[in-house]
Amino acid sequence: MSAKAGGFVLTSSPHIFSKTSNAKIMVTVMAALLPAVVMSVAYYGIRVVFLYVLSVTVAMATEAVTKIFRRQDWRSILDGSAALTGVLLVMTLPPAISPLLVALASGFAIFIGKEVFGGLGANIFNPALVGRAFLSAAYPVAMTRFSAPRPLFAFLGRSADTVSQATPLAAARFEGVTTPWMDLFLGQVGGSIGETSAVALIIGGVVLMWLKIVNWRLVGSYLGTVFLLAGIAHLMGPNQYPTALFHLFSGGLMLAAFFMITDMVTSPVTNLGVIILGIGAGLIVVLIRLFGAFPEGVMYSILLMNAATPIINRYTDTRPFGAVRQEGRRV
Amino acid sequence: MAHLTFKKGVHPPSNKSFTEHRSIERIPVPETLLVPLSQHLGVPANPVVQKGDHVAVGDLLGEAPRLISARIHSPAAGVVKRIVDQPLPGGNLAQYVEITVDREATERHTFPGNDVDPASVSREQLLEIIRAAGVVGMGGATFPTDVKFSPTKDKSLDVLVVNGAECEPYLTCDHRVMVEETEALMRGCRALHNAYRFEAIYIAIEANKPDAIKAFEDLIAVYSDLPIKVVSLSTKYPQGAEKMLVRTVTGRVIPTGKLPLDVGAVVCNVQTLFAIYEAYFFRKPVIERVLTVSGAGIDRPKNIRALVGTPLELLVEHCGGITGPVNKVVAGGPMTGTSLPTLDYSVSKGSSGFLFLTNADVETENPCIRCSRCVSVCPMNLMPLKLAAYSRAGRYSELKRLAVNSCFECGSCSFVCPAKINIVAYVRHAKKYIRLHNARENKR
Repeated sequence: MSAKAGGFVLTSSPHIFSKTSNAKIMVTVMAALLPAVVMSVAYYGIRVVFLYVLSVTVAMATEAVTKIFRRQDWRSILDGSAALTGVLLVMTLPPAISPLLVALASGFAIFIGKEVFGGLGANIFNPALVGRAFLSAAYPVAMTRFSAPRPLFAFLGRSADTVSQATPLAAARFEGVTTPWMDLFLGQVGGSIGETSAVALIIGGVVLMWLKIVNWRLVGSYLGTVFLLAGIAHLMGPNQYPTALFHLFSGGLMLAAFFMITDMVTSPVTNLGVIILGIGAGLIVVLIRLFGAFPEGVMYSILLMNAATPIINRYTDTRPFGAVRQEGRRV
Repeated sequence: MAHLTFKKGVHPPSNKSFTEHRSIERIPVPETLLVPLSQHLGVPANPVVQKGDHVAVGDLLGEAPRLISARIHSPAAGVVKRIVDQPLPGGNLAQYVEITVDREATERHTFPGNDVDPASVSREQLLEIIRAAGVVGMGGATFPTDVKFSPTKDKSLDVLVVNGAECEPYLTCDHRVMVEETEALMRGCRALHNAYRFEAIYIAIEANKPDAIKAFEDLIAVYSDLPIKVVSLSTKYPQGAEKMLVRTVTGRVIPTGKLPLDVGAVVCNVQTLFAIYEAYFFRKPVIERVLTVSGAGIDRPKNIRALVGTPLELLVEHCGGITGPVNKVVAGGPMTGTSLPTLDYSVSKGSSGFLFLTNADVETENPCIRCSRCVSVCPMNLMPLKLAAYSRAGRYSELKRLAVNSCFECGSCSFVCPAKINIVAYVRHAKKYIRLHNARENKR
């Protein structure tokens, strides 16, 4: 032993840190997505596994290439955020989507959705939804052909059939056919790859809320607003508008509520802020679904509210402990 | 029993098991002491001794030139070898009085008790006793205690909170003092109570120290003349921070920029209370304190009663030396302490501990992903992520709007940050800039 040691590290306090990291958060979110990912494979066949792998690979490669061109550390791709974007993107696409479009959207999501803003933490919009919005605008036909899911776990062998089936939202909007909400809950309906099984998404989402990676106030205010407004609409016109439960479990709402709108980078940082975000996005969902040109409004509800996040952050700062109100009263 | 607490905060691993059940040890009187003349918040003491002077235990080494300052006394008998400039933890330069110790004379010296009747001591006399003994806040902030106990004329002081929270990980010195010196602390409370006639005295202890809580509860009946309540607090960091503690125990919120005095409360660390007790009943100045030497990199972690000025190397030696791959030495607790580049430092009144950390994390910063964990743990309800970002961007007007000066640098935000951004370092930079900028403006 040597009491005359030296050369110790000098840093500012604190000197101990929690074991968390950006990468651990990303990996945890991906793990929470696993039930829904498994269900998507069960419904749409082994083909979607290929789509996930493709999307993740392109996302990470795009980030690496961008970083190298910007002379930054390309190893940022190991933080898991690009991979998460890749997974989420596939979950929002129709099952019969062509691999080429998946690759295109994935590259777009990372490059335009994230890297042009400066990379992780600097982007304004949810990158996965930027990728989806790009496809919706550029390839609207491919984005609205939804194949019916097969019976559970009969997925080995054939590729997904391309027989078009209207999604429950489209059926309700354009044909006046409503799907029982229990079918929606379990996912035996047409829809995007990862959004159909609400129960699988809820399991993952509840875990994330329990781990405090997802703020339950955001999930609650978003779903609550949709439930409330859709319920009011249904009560006012039961024949014209589907029930609140139908709205809750149809389309990408569950996926969006637990995994999209809750993206940390693009949602506000205070409890008040996320509640405002959730209410605003819920309002947009209902307006688009009931009165808009599209059957589904989830994607735009989040992208539009993403744009509002900086200003929400600006006006929802917490009140410091002991701050004195102007009247001189303590709070 | 329900434990009281404050809003937000964090739960770092406590690491108190190294030392929490180890009795306080006294180490042999060192041959040399290096006594800093700046051991307190405020103006350093002026030396009143010169090279070659003989000093006895308790003799004055430095006089407090102003109100916000404190006297420094000789912890040992001996000869002043020299007065030298050396850095304090954190880098500021201070004068140190180096004493060549006469160990025999030092060990022989005792402070005889004076059977003072607490009822006969006025508040002014009490404050003079505290001031003369150089008592400062020994929880680490080292604010002069006499100033802390002096309410302005228009304010009343009705609550005393004895701070035994000891919420910093690793540290157990206050814990041991509470267990081993319970009676002395109660007598200290009585001395203060006779001068202030508090409406309530709260002894606030985190629930992870049940033996300390029990020790006080067992004595309450004996001190039934005092309005004492023992309060069990949740084990949560920073429970012992003054504003959090006053809010927890009394429900009173200290307004921004104000002190506990402004809401009629005074918070006193247990070792400060012990120093008041010794000053009051023995006229003994602050020349020693109990501190914790701990961490995975020290052979035998201990609670030690050490003379002020004891070289850190001696403490290390007494604890069996450095064992593991120590890469960080911290003066104080791991959340707010100061890292040291070498062992060339000595014990001062504010030294609550020295930690020897092995494989301490030295993290590289990643991008902020706005996870908002810093917001959800900040006990002052600030926006740490914004403070860090604005500090980096040099936007000081925004920082003032966000009450950057309310941050007392507890470190909770940096602790939880998944991007490993040391938010506290950015905040400290901003606060320093604003302080220096304001000072320059005032001069004009």
